Amino acid sequence: MDQLLKAQDVVSYIGPYTILHGVSLEVGHGEAVAILGRNGAGKTTFLKTVMGLVKTRSGILELDGKSVTGMEPHLIQRMGIGYVPEDYGIFDLLTVEENFRIAMWKEDKETLERRDYVLDLFPDLKLAYKRFARNLSGGQRQMLSIGRALVNDNKILLVDEPSKGLAPVIIESLAQALIEIRSHTTVLLVEQNFALACAVGQRFYIINEGRTVESGLMEDLVKDKELQALHLGI
Amino acid sequence: MDKLKAIGTINIRKTAALAALLALFLIIPHYMRNAQLIMFSRVFILAVYGMSYDILRGYTGFINLGQAIFFGSGVYLGVIFLNMQNNLGSFVLALGAVILFSAAGGFLLSRIVLRTGGVVAAAMVTLAIGEIVRNIAERWRSVTGGQDGLPLRFSRVALDPLFSTRVGGYYFSLAFMLVMLLILRAFILSPTGRVLMSIRENEQRARFLGYQTNRYKTIALIVSSIAAGLSGVFFAVIARFANTDYLSIQYTLNALLITLVGGTGTLYGAIIGSFFVTWIQTFLLDLNRSFPGFTLFRYPMLFVGSFYILLVMFMPSGIMGGIYRLADWYRSWKTKRVT
Amino acid sequence: MGTFVTLIINGLAQGALIFLMASGLSIILGMMGVVNFSHGTLFLWGGYSYVWSYYAIRFSVVMRLFPDAVPLTRFGSILTIRGVQLPPDAALPFVVELGIFLAALAFAVVLVFALGYVFEKLFISRVYGNIPAQILITLGIQVVFTDLVRVIWGPNPFPIERPPFLNGVTAFGGARIVHYNVFLIIVGAVIAVVIHRVLTRSKVGMVIRAGLQNPDHVRAIGINIRGYFSLVFACGAALAGLGGALYMPLVGNVVSTAGMSNQILAFIVVVVGGLGSFMGSALGSVFLGLMGVAIAMLIPGLSVVANVLVMALVLIFKPDGLFGLAVKKHG
Repeated sequence: MDQLLKAQDVVSYIGPYTILHGVSLEVGHGEAVAILGRNGAGKTTFLKTVMGLVKTRSGILELDGKSVTGMEPHLIQRMGIGYVPEDYGIFDLLTVEENFRIAMWKEDKETLERRDYVLDLFPDLKLAYKRFARNLSGGQRQMLSIGRALVNDNKILLVDEPSKGLAPVIIESLAQALIEIRSHTTVLLVEQNFALACAVGQRFYIINEGRTVESGLMEDLVKDKELQALHLGI
Repeated sequence: MDKLKAIGTINIRKTAALAALLALFLIIPHYMRNAQLIMFSRVFILAVYGMSYDILRGYTGFINLGQAIFFGSGVYLGVIFLNMQNNLGSFVLALGAVILFSAAGGFLLSRIVLRTGGVVAAAMVTLAIGEIVRNIAERWRSVTGGQDGLPLRFSRVALDPLFSTRVGGYYFSLAFMLVMLLILRAFILSPTGRVLMSIRENEQRARFLGYQTNRYKTIALIVSSIAAGLSGVFFAVIARFANTDYLSIQYTLNALLITLVGGTGTLYGAIIGSFFVTWIQTFLLDLNRSFPGFTLFRYPMLFVGSFYILLVMFMPSGIMGGIYRLADWYRSWKTKRVT
Repeated sequence: MGTFVTLIINGLAQGALIFLMASGLSIILGMMGVVNFSHGTLFLWGGYSYVWSYYAIRFSVVMRLFPDAVPLTRFGSILTIRGVQLPPDAALPFVVELGIFLAALAFAVVLVFALGYVFEKLFISRVYGNIPAQILITLGIQVVFTDLVRVIWGPNPFPIERPPFLNGVTAFGGARIVHYNVFLIIVGAVIAVVIHRVLTRSKVGMVIRAGLQNPDHVRAIGINIRGYFSLVFACGAALAGLGGALYMPLVGNVVSTAGMSNQILAFIVVVVGGLGSFMGSALGSVFLGLMGVAIAMLIPGLSVVANVLVMALVLIFKPDGLFGLAVKKHG
């Protein structure tokens, strides 16, 4: 099978604490996959583990057939991962423009075209282009964070809880944007907001206490109220 | 049940070992030369200085780069008071003065340092304060003798008529160390000490439990300052001389080195650390004397400092920590072989 | 009025020197979270290597051009510093003097840059995130490398001279304007502008500003921040080295304790200006320089304690510094 991201029994730790006890999942080319689970289940840590920000103790973690375990975060990113962290990861002391530029691998024609595409997707950013990022609202920060992750020729976009702390109207427009993005990029989405996860994800995984416990098609999960109650507390 | 018994026997063994060690320490001075007696006296006193630092660093995590202020001030106060009158009364007055001075200084320091919270700012500030104090001492010639230092006027016999030999000085220092060890141990085992320990483990949790952590840290700082000051006064009796080196970063580094070698948070470690540090410095001084042409040996801090860097890099839990780890490893290896 | 102008110029010159130290320290602290307790040593190495290379180059140039010049007393230990007395009515052309001065400065700056790079690679990179270990290691480096200076160039202070073209005083109204002080102010201002441009206009500056906030996020967008750490640390070291090189001719007396005392001034600036704030360290340096000169003139007895007093007051009433960082530091 043609898998883009593959995790098998990934165990990772921070200092003396083991956070992930065995996460296995696969994301195929062009797919949109959502990771669900309660607070503290290890969803964010999984994305950080993929990025190398949290260290892997054992298990397999591959991008496009190449292992990324033990690699430096910046090298993992250069393998083609756009990462949108939980707290946006926006640099307040940089302008919106600089936030884009610092993320660009190179400033060639394709990259600038992708940036223009992002600016069309999020017109707010175009208006605030020369302003310092510390002046942005929460929604604008999320747009900048997602947009910044799209300027490079990435293979996959990892998005960590984009809906966190945002107003429902903004979440709705974010969902629209993510659906649009999903049409030409592989997306792995971590999300607590079930509606957003359903709208964007085609398949799902549920992580509980550091382990993947369920997986399947999103449309099945929408129907399965029991499963929702068991793992998501809905 | 077996386990309990084991703990009991270990305790008996431990007590016996300690008693033997103490007996050894009581007997050996009669077989030592003067230079060795002086060295051991310094070891005991610097051990207390190391313990004072251990309380600070091991139990509060705070890095005071101005600890030498208290030690150095103690040395100066000791010399000044004994120069006024070379008797026990004067010595006790010096102790009283240093307690007052260190308590006030420690309190003041805590006001400044604990405001910032961070280890970084605290280290920077205490370094600056320490250097300024040394600077003031260097300029205040009428009292401190400036760069020439301040010798004890009664050079042969300090603290007449309590003792007049170096053996007396040895017992004097040993008694001081034992008393301070008991006092500081009691402090650590007291309810206040317990809170300090929990602050070290997790300051936030201690705060959530309702402890005013800054108040406890202030107490620790004051206790540590007083212990450092007292060790300074005793050191004056042995060294018979005070100069600004005792106030300088060099002596703070000595304290750091003692705790680094002995490991932090143990108190006993300071004795081993002190022995090691004093020995290495005496050894380097001897080298310098034996090879007067060799310039490198004129700078003992060059070697001590390098050793210290290596220690921080490769043995952060101290030599004692390293030994404990080796012991653990040996024990697990043995049990593995049995099973 | 004249005294006032003199005072301002002297104070600004002092401030410029402190700024060279403090700006590097502050950026290193802000971006890498490393307090560099060996900064004073780098300053000292800059000073001694400048003095040594300046005198060595000048000695050989003078002896070649004027064989009848008289060598003066030799100072130093393994490496020695030796002045030379030109024959009466002889002088080196301005261009040659300038060349010697610049070459010596360049030597000092490059040497200290390399030293900083090695420190970072060898020691500091091993203890990122471990603040106590950083403090202890850099403190150890401070002690060892300060003693190394004493081994190489001797423990005793010795006098040196300023380059002749910077050595002069102009009376202007009632003011005594020391040329070297004006030179220091210009250098300080130029360096401040350069640092500001680098921080605001270049890729390195973008990474530094981003790293001030959160180094992990910088790594997660594909940037090898460790590489930048080495570079920034070495540049901060080079600034300290330049400060040391320019400091020695100002005081005219080479002392091995100058490193520590200037490091403490830089610490005070960083604490007063706010940890990691470039503007804070610039303003703080000027403030401290002016205050130092003013107090030395008005209440000389207080000059030793004044700086620490200011720091203590700032810490008690405004623990984040007078010019705190504009961004809250995460993680």
